[in-house]
Amino acid sequence: MRAIVYVRLDESGKGEACLSVDWEAQCLTGRRVVCRLKEPLPLGIAEECCQLFNGRQDRGAPGGPDRALSGAAEAAWTAAGAKGRAFDVAGERGGLSDEGRRERTINAAERERAMGDAGGGRLADKAEARAANTEEMEPWLAAAEQAAACLRGRSLLREEAAALLEEMLPPPYGAEPLRVLELAAGLGAVRLAAAIAPRAADAGPRRQGLRCRRCGSGEERMRRTRCASCGRSGCAVCEACATLGRSRECELLALGAEQPGAALAALSPALTDRWGLSAAQRSAAEEALRFLRGEAGARRAGAWGGAGLRGPLRPLVAALRGLHARLRSAELAAPERSFLLWAVTGAGKTEMIFPLVAAVLEAGGRVLIATPRRDVVLELAPRLRKAFPEAALAVLYGGSEDRWANAELTLATTHQLLRFQGAFDLVLLDELDAFPYHNDPVLHYAAAKARSANGATVLLSATPPAGLRREVRSGRTPCARVPVRYHRHPLPVPARLRVPAMAGLLARAELPRALVRELAASVSRGAQVFVFVPYIKHVVPLVRLLKKRAASLGLEKVQIEGTYSSDPERTVKVQQFRQVSLRLLVTTTILERGVTIPRSDVFILGAHQAMFDEASLVQMAGRAGRSADDPFGRVRFCSPYLTRAQRSAVGQIRAMNRLAGKRGYLRRKGERA
Amino acid sequence: MIGASKLLALLRPQGRNCLLCGQTFQVGGGRRAPIPIRNPAARKVLDEGFCAGCISRIPWIVTIACPICGRPERCGDCLRRRERPFVKCRGAVRYDDAMKEWLALYKYRGLERLEAAFAAMLAAAVEPLLGETRFDVVTSVPIAPLRLADRGFDQAERVARGMAVLYRLPYRPMLRRIRHTGKQSFKGRKDRIEDMKGTFAALSPPLALGHVSEALFSPTDPVRIMLVDDIYTTGATMTECSRALLAAYPNAEVYGALWARS
Repeated sequence: MRAIVYVRLDESGKGEACLSVDWEAQCLTGRRVVCRLKEPLPLGIAEECCQLFNGRQDRGAPGGPDRALSGAAEAAWTAAGAKGRAFDVAGERGGLSDEGRRERTINAAERERAMGDAGGGRLADKAEARAANTEEMEPWLAAAEQAAACLRGRSLLREEAAALLEEMLPPPYGAEPLRVLELAAGLGAVRLAAAIAPRAADAGPRRQGLRCRRCGSGEERMRRTRCASCGRSGCAVCEACATLGRSRECELLALGAEQPGAALAALSPALTDRWGLSAAQRSAAEEALRFLRGEAGARRAGAWGGAGLRGPLRPLVAALRGLHARLRSAELAAPERSFLLWAVTGAGKTEMIFPLVAAVLEAGGRVLIATPRRDVVLELAPRLRKAFPEAALAVLYGGSEDRWANAELTLATTHQLLRFQGAFDLVLLDELDAFPYHNDPVLHYAAAKARSANGATVLLSATPPAGLRREVRSGRTPCARVPVRYHRHPLPVPARLRVPAMAGLLARAELPRALVRELAASVSRGAQVFVFVPYIKHVVPLVRLLKKRAASLGLEKVQIEGTYSSDPERTVKVQQFRQVSLRLLVTTTILERGVTIPRSDVFILGAHQAMFDEASLVQMAGRAGRSADDPFGRVRFCSPYLTRAQRSAVGQIRAMNRLAGKRGYLRRKGERA
Repeated sequence: MIGASKLLALLRPQGRNCLLCGQTFQVGGGRRAPIPIRNPAARKVLDEGFCAGCISRIPWIVTIACPICGRPERCGDCLRRRERPFVKCRGAVRYDDAMKEWLALYKYRGLERLEAAFAAMLAAAVEPLLGETRFDVVTSVPIAPLRLADRGFDQAERVARGMAVLYRLPYRPMLRRIRHTGKQSFKGRKDRIEDMKGTFAALSPPLALGHVSEALFSPTDPVRIMLVDDIYTTGATMTECSRALLAAYPNAEVYGALWARS
């Protein structure tokens, strides 16, 4: 869309360039306009023009604001790649210093012409007539205030904002989203900006390219296309966040004010017994709570140890710190003021976050729980509702109904985070190493953006990525480890089984005797057998092969099945596996997380393949021994040779068991629950 | 340096990411579903744009049952129609669920990187028409100005332009909407036909089209217009647009090229 750039006077009497998406509404406010560009500019360019104008020190310099404004507009177009354009300015000629002629004195004919293209010429005249009669403005301003309240903590594209306003405001106001937004912006309660930040946005020495305000992607994720809404031939559109609506250079992004949060430091330090946590869970939750109260924050600040330095080293340290921060942000480390809750698979992470959520809600704060998968959201929602019956809960996922609900407790899939900005005091990120987060800077940006300035982030993971682990080791990110499962038995340690590579086995249609023996042993002890393979293409041939050898495994043919991501019967098969009508399930990494089958053993075929990294191996191994009835599942890495990933996965599991033993969390022999 | 990087590219073929599913694949690797298009540029776009899985999901219309609208099944609509201002239509793909999803990605989500691929797919509808006659001009069904401002692009125009470049045909805008209609997807056949009446008009002044034929036996060669749209459902849009075109260009013949035929 296009916007009109105008100059008005701020409190100190200086000219300030602003943009208006609804000129008519801007006229209704009766603010004094010094001058404006006759031609509406594409929104991104309009914003850049404003910034260029406002960035100039000599706003009142010779030539007057109108000259400066047209100069800024030209510069903005030039920066966008269109050279040699001239701009007409409507309004008073002469300097800002001329107190007496500050009033808008655009002559009638010129105004007619200038406003005709904004579509509001006639009404603008009316507005003039109405200037004294503010009564008609009242309901509109009230609607604008209401809109501002609805938009708090959000960052919405025009279309989304329109949908929100239509739902939240009474009819005549909800149908005019642009007008309401313009008025709200006039009140200073909403910021209207281009969805893609223009170049001038960072006035630093090294100008960066365009940046998507919604997902943080740079110009390399954008495509320039001809755009009929702004008329430019090279209007940039962000492809990184296209799944949630189109963010483009000329698209309007309505940014609400930050949510008034709670002071996290004032959280009650005591942990109630209401949640029935085990000793290990409790100690981790307490540590997280201490972090939220700001007691553990000191460790991070001291990481560089530069506090005590004086003299010539100081600037050096400062520079190093800056460099370090930049490098860190480049490698997608944890956002500032974040805490890692590193809990082994099956430790009961969900229970552990309840006390944190409760504490923040009690203090009047707002909490977001973000999880990568929709089914987890759907599963967690009723549990949260039960645990926090008095708190308003909004459940957000693609196609959910409380899209615009303004709740203290929000449970969302990660992509929904893009629609928030400065909204939550506590952001809980579940499984940050899992699929959508993994290697996706967009979601990390979104998670950081959704948090309010004084908020905190708690990351939950069983297998934190290497970068984050490094930070924990160096003390930059505080961390609490939960090294034991809720049933207080050690994690099953994977054993190695030497088996030739999958491809060859499938080609020769043979199963090594050792593998058959091990599988048969698992079957005969009554376990459900997970067989993980690295590639989808291996699933079907392996199932066929296993079915052929079903007798020697001690199974019926119908008890063996395979599934993969695009399998239409996936949920049915998992359900059957859960109900023990299937005994052996061949699958890919899709089932590596979030599946809890009581009595299960895990076989990872082709464990040496690059598909299976350390995190994935630990997660798959974590499917075994999850229930208290059968805590000692068997895990086998079947591969022709050991890889680093296999070794470090075993190392990680062993280290957690050791830590659990050292802290005395493990159940002693003969001890009962 | 350039030589070295070329050599490197030759030695280590770079995978491409599928425009739709994002999966990396090797161009020219593995078995792929056949593409019923002859134009090498169009084939290249599809070969390099989609992975084997996605390309196999395209339900190409290879055999047609209705010679008028190009439908792959027996077609009642064309029998029922009393007047038919266009000569014939051809569709490239069947409008099944997968294609519905793709079109939604392009049209509503604005995934403009699919544009070239859509234009290339349209070639499957254009080639049979080009095999029969020559064309003077390519044009497209315009979208409403309001929707154009909203969406930022006119999908039919973009696809038509892309296709016109592939076959070196001139593209000209020739139509405009004179009335805003609601969304077609929520209406039945009768409503659509009623609703479409008088929606379009040719842009004035009319283009100078056609050429003086030097051939001895065809002294009055009609102007042949290829009209492009994304979907053909009942043919109401096609009929209306053809009527508007015929009103402005009395000696014209209108042929339709559709990306999808539902």
